Amino acid sequence: MTTTSTDKIVRPTAGRSALPAPKYPRVFGVGRGRLVQYGVFILLALFVLAPIVPILYQSFRDRPLYEAGGILTADNYGKLFTDAGFGQVILNTAIFAFGTTVLTLLIAIPMAVLVVRTRLPFGRLLGLSMQWPFFISSLILGFGWITLYGPAGFVSVQFRQLLGFVPWNLYSLGGMAVTEAVGLAPIAYVFCANALRQSDASLESAARVCGAGPLRILFQVVVPMLRPPIVYSSILIFSMSLETLSVPLLYGTPVRIEVFSTFLYTNGLQSISPDYGILGAASTLILAVTIGTVAIQAKVLKNAQRFISVRGKATRPRLLDLGWIRWIAVVAIVIYIIFGALLPILGLIFRSFTMIFTPLQNPFESLTLSNYERVFTFPVYVQSITNSIVVAVVGAILVSVLALLAVLVARRSPFKFARSVEYLALAPQAMPGIIVGIGFFWAFALTPGGGWIQGTLVAVIIAFGLRALPTAFGSIAPAIMQIGNELDNAARTSGADWFGTFFRILRTLLRPAFVGAIILVFVTMMKEYSAALFLSSANTGVIGTTMLDLWVQGNTGSVASLATIQIAITAVFVAVASLFMKGHTDA
Amino acid sequence: MPEVKVSGLHKKFGDVTVLNDINFTIREGEFFTLLGPSGCGKSTTLNCIAGLETPSSGAITVDGVPFVDTHKKLYVPTEERNLGMVFQSYALWPHMSVEANLVMPLAIRKASKEEKSVRIHEALETVGLSHLKDRYPHQLSGGQQQRVALARALVYSPSVLLLDEPLSNLDAKLREQSRAWLKRLQVELGITTVYVTHDQDEALSLSDRIAVMFDGQMAQIGTPAEIYEKPATAAVAAFVGSCNFFTGRLEGHHGGIALVRLDNSGILVKVASALTLDKGDAVTVAVRPERLSITSRTADVTGANVLETTVLTRSYVGSRYEYGLKLGTNVVQVISPSGDLDGAVRLVFEAEDALLYAGSSVPSAEAAELMTVAS
Ligand SMILES: Nc1ncnc2c1ncn2[C@@H]1O[C@H](COP(=O)(O)OP(=O)(O)O)[C@@H](O)[C@H]1O
Ligand SMILES: [Mg+2]
Repeated sequence: MTTTSTDKIVRPTAGRSALPAPKYPRVFGVGRGRLVQYGVFILLALFVLAPIVPILYQSFRDRPLYEAGGILTADNYGKLFTDAGFGQVILNTAIFAFGTTVLTLLIAIPMAVLVVRTRLPFGRLLGLSMQWPFFISSLILGFGWITLYGPAGFVSVQFRQLLGFVPWNLYSLGGMAVTEAVGLAPIAYVFCANALRQSDASLESAARVCGAGPLRILFQVVVPMLRPPIVYSSILIFSMSLETLSVPLLYGTPVRIEVFSTFLYTNGLQSISPDYGILGAASTLILAVTIGTVAIQAKVLKNAQRFISVRGKATRPRLLDLGWIRWIAVVAIVIYIIFGALLPILGLIFRSFTMIFTPLQNPFESLTLSNYERVFTFPVYVQSITNSIVVAVVGAILVSVLALLAVLVARRSPFKFARSVEYLALAPQAMPGIIVGIGFFWAFALTPGGGWIQGTLVAVIIAFGLRALPTAFGSIAPAIMQIGNELDNAARTSGADWFGTFFRILRTLLRPAFVGAIILVFVTMMKEYSAALFLSSANTGVIGTTMLDLWVQGNTGSVASLATIQIAITAVFVAVASLFMKGHTDA
Repeated sequence: MPEVKVSGLHKKFGDVTVLNDINFTIREGEFFTLLGPSGCGKSTTLNCIAGLETPSSGAITVDGVPFVDTHKKLYVPTEERNLGMVFQSYALWPHMSVEANLVMPLAIRKASKEEKSVRIHEALETVGLSHLKDRYPHQLSGGQQQRVALARALVYSPSVLLLDEPLSNLDAKLREQSRAWLKRLQVELGITTVYVTHDQDEALSLSDRIAVMFDGQMAQIGTPAEIYEKPATAAVAAFVGSCNFFTGRLEGHHGGIALVRLDNSGILVKVASALTLDKGDAVTVAVRPERLSITSRTADVTGANVLETTVLTRSYVGSRYEYGLKLGTNVVQVISPSGDLDGAVRLVFEAEDALLYAGSSVPSAEAAELMTVAS
């Protein structure tokens, strides 16, 4: 019996005099916790508004915003549609985004159902292999696809030899949508797979008891449960394809198909005298669209979450047996993984070690390291590699710290503007990288004394950091929700103030989530490049911008070698960081 | 040991009023319990005292020191109130050993090294766990965790101890033992204690005084005996202990005795009451099962109220029997020491055994339905 030993009550503690509660210093009548909360709020507001405000301002100004004496006008919006042909751009973007969304769902939904709910050979392995896009940027995926399936690609040439023609055209809206869908499918897959894993198995058991066969159960019980994640992920995919730059840039530029992001790219960077008014107006309209879709997405997620997180039930749904159909399923998934991701990436890596990459000539005969040599003989290229690493490391730490503070304020403080802090931290989701780049470029130009920052790595870190902030916030927030609020309250009653509670209690408990956020942000920032197009100078390019430069010069071998280097850096970092994290959580 | 004074406490979450004009004063060294069904606002009240919630309006002082006063825009943050609190989930910091959990409040108060070790030793001795100081929370049983949480709340000798359903996560047997232990501990320490529970047995056995709350309103404050014997409302009578309720109409009133005609059977009963009501008013008669006695038809009985009934059910509940009797359309619950009664019996009670409430205030429709039979 546990209580018997306590029957004797020894010298009561109350015999001692009370230890007085600590007194905390106040600044202007508020504690340090409140100061931190206001600090985080103001910093986030500045961070998010800095690129938006100049864009809005520029869109209504008749000349570049750093030129004196401008007048406010709405002419830019008119010119955008008449001179600049923005209408066609909107149409292209809509077709591309819609096509991408549909194709993504066509790949992701069957795959999720098959992997999670049916007995598949190598099911676990197939599920795990859906994580690949986390490591690979869509720019690299685009290069890979062109290497294989482009007009002069390895596979295309093979087909031309066999058939006399190539049955597809990669450089089209359709080709863009297919490539983008292959890259985005894993995101939709994750949402659907989670919903399927958490759904209640008893519904299925009930259907089984009623004598329903596996196919019937699949279509009548399992698939309807997927509606919320499908709605959510289609809006997410749609808004991501509205802002993506890589694939439309690589495929669309040679054939002059423009979408939102490439319109900004060509008008802002490639024209000799960019029309700032048009640039501002286009950016404003695009921002309005992306913010709209992200707002819908947030609203849908709120409803969907109720559906997705049916927790607490440990009943594992029984896996359905599809018989011979499962082999077709496996083949389809393997084709997706091999031809969609594995071969293009491997092809690109292989390309980096050859002079020429075509089926017309045995590539093993021209094995060489000269692609790498070229990269390493030019200091600017080497510099871009170190820049990428510096930006990713410094950015990962800074952004994770900021995200951690934002999560604490948003989810664990009585702060008046806690909700606004959360919205601010998530808002950059709706801000396309290229617009972030334009916005900060103008913001630095407008800020008195802000000129020194222009073209430095600091500018690049700030812009990439803003883009990565929602990712970091999203990875820390669930972790803090797992920690009971009563742990904070116990610390408060024990005498720790809001700040002390974090340093004494939450800091240790949140460490795994924090390290996780650092890894995630590192990988995100390693892949990022679009915001740097406007912001970096000759010495402050990153791997992505250098790859684009080399690509435009037709230097595909060096592009392939830089892509290989980027993949290698990411893989090594993730491996080391995961090991480190494992060692720490075990201790 | 200080006194705690709560006055005019209101709390709203958005549009929902969760606390509505809560007032009470807890005397020095008193064991004071907030009792009520779950969701009635007990924890919110306790959290207002602790400073974890800020009231929408109202004032709280402890030992004459104002902790919060919405009129004067005054608010002392939780960490400066020096209260000890034990939470329902115990809230032990999972990454710290028992000792480290206790060190923390002392470290915050910059206690010297000796002071720390003396106090931790004493606090753990008090709860009988000094041999477990190097364990981690997950290596302890629920009862041990609860006592560590108590030791952590006591280690800095706080002025007031706040306990939010500390026993509710223990299993039934252990809960009873812990209850007795907690009572002894509190008496020994003499610390002013505010205790929150929805368990009436716990409240009755532990408390010096109880405050019964419903829906954010204070229903009654009194000693356990007062709450049980003289519940201020039918709702209190129903919540604390079990009770039979019969609706009826007042037929007359003289000399402190009311005559009530019961709706269920048309029988006239006498009930002692100081209520001033008019003839014909709807009233509710409440009688506790153990205040009723049953005799066989053949026995000679005297009493203010002798009612003819029949036995519907009888069950042995350990050392006594619980009967279900049919009185008109109602089932009446009676506790009796004898287990051999059956068939037609008499139900007997004095006018003073019953309580009278104005209006037909049957506690819940569902309970009323369960207590109804076809006549
Ligand atoms: N943070 C909150 N926001 C909104 N409503 C709350 C919050 N905390 C408590 N409530 C509501 O206030 C009421 C009283 O809660 P509580 O004081 O915890 O009840 P008790 O402890 O008596 O079970 C409940 O209806 C609860 O839903
Ligand atoms: Mg409660």
